[in-house]
Amino acid sequence: VPCVSGGLPKPMNITFVSINMKNVLQWAPPEGLQGVEVTYTVQYFIYGQKKWLSKSKCKNINRTYCDLSAETSDYEHQYYAKVKAVWGTNCSKWVETGRFYPFLETQIGPPEVSLTTGEKSISIVLTAPEKWKRNPEDSSVSMQQIYSNLKYNVSMYNTKSKRMWSQCITNHTLVLSWLEPNTLYCISVESFVPGPPRLTRPSQKQCVSTLEDQTSGLKVK
Amino acid sequence: LRKCLISMDMRHLEKSFQEMKRALQNKDTFQNVTILSTLETLQSTKPTDVCCMTNNLLAFYVDRVFKDHQELDPQILRKVSSIANSFLYIQKTLQECQVQSRCHCSQEATNATRIIHDNYNQLEIRSAAIKSLGELDIFLAWIDKNHQKTSGA
Repeated sequence: VPCVSGGLPKPMNITFVSINMKNVLQWAPPEGLQGVEVTYTVQYFIYGQKKWLSKSKCKNINRTYCDLSAETSDYEHQYYAKVKAVWGTNCSKWVETGRFYPFLETQIGPPEVSLTTGEKSISIVLTAPEKWKRNPEDSSVSMQQIYSNLKYNVSMYNTKSKRMWSQCITNHTLVLSWLEPNTLYCISVESFVPGPPRLTRPSQKQCVSTLEDQTSGLKVK
Repeated sequence: LRKCLISMDMRHLEKSFQEMKRALQNKDTFQNVTILSTLETLQSTKPTDVCCMTNNLLAFYVDRVFKDHQELDPQILRKVSSIANSFLYIQKTLQECQVQSRCHCSQEATNATRIIHDNYNQLEIRSAAIKSLGELDIFLAWIDKNHQKTSGA
């Protein structure tokens, strides 16, 4: 039974939240309907195509998000999505996103960071984040394969001297030399792609200590 | 064949576009029509066609889109003019490549360019101009991808 459109206030703040091409549509409930059992229905549109498409798993749902990663997986196309609230025979008007361009808007997640300490050095090895995949058993695609100009911003902090510095690198390894022995250093890494501004998400801070200075232990006989 | 690479402050161009993207794309009410986007050929441009496609797309924007577009909002007008001037500058730098005949156009590049103009002609002129401006992010991303400093073909 078609619902009476406009009988409910519209959902709010509709937006795509996209990380490594995992594209989730999110919105906030309509105002003034606290405690009311509202459900939502989502549709999406491929820019340049002919009509709005439905996603069966996002019809009459209670939650306020819908994963459209599979539907928007061709990241070189652009998309729109819209949602409406439904309660009984009443429903809101549709509320629509702006044009969503995954290639330019997805957030690049942090790399995997592994650290190896030396006496006065720390070796950092980075692994590029992986693109969202439909099935866990699908072969992995690195975000590096999509963005050949992917770079990393490595932030370092000497907990003894309280000194912080950072370095931008393009390859996946970095050796920090001339460090102080027996000192705790904390490191965090952020991926980024030169281009239109995107949200970034640094890696979990990791702290490691450089080794004891071997020469200081030697006794002069 | 060394590629004709343009060196341009892409960040400035992208920033100018980002600041008016929502306004431009909201004015584009024909979501079922696209000027640049359907072109798989644009996405898989051969290195030897990059110079020609860049030239053709710059000419499309400079000679048609910017001329056909009428804008009342002074802020948007300023940003569009800034992008237009940058495109004129890029056109000049590519002229050098044309002089040295390193800007060859294959049949695919010619066909792709014609499709873009055909798409544009489908729409009323003001709507076509607004839509093309709203798709500048596609063109800028294409320039960024194809004009990165890489070894020549």
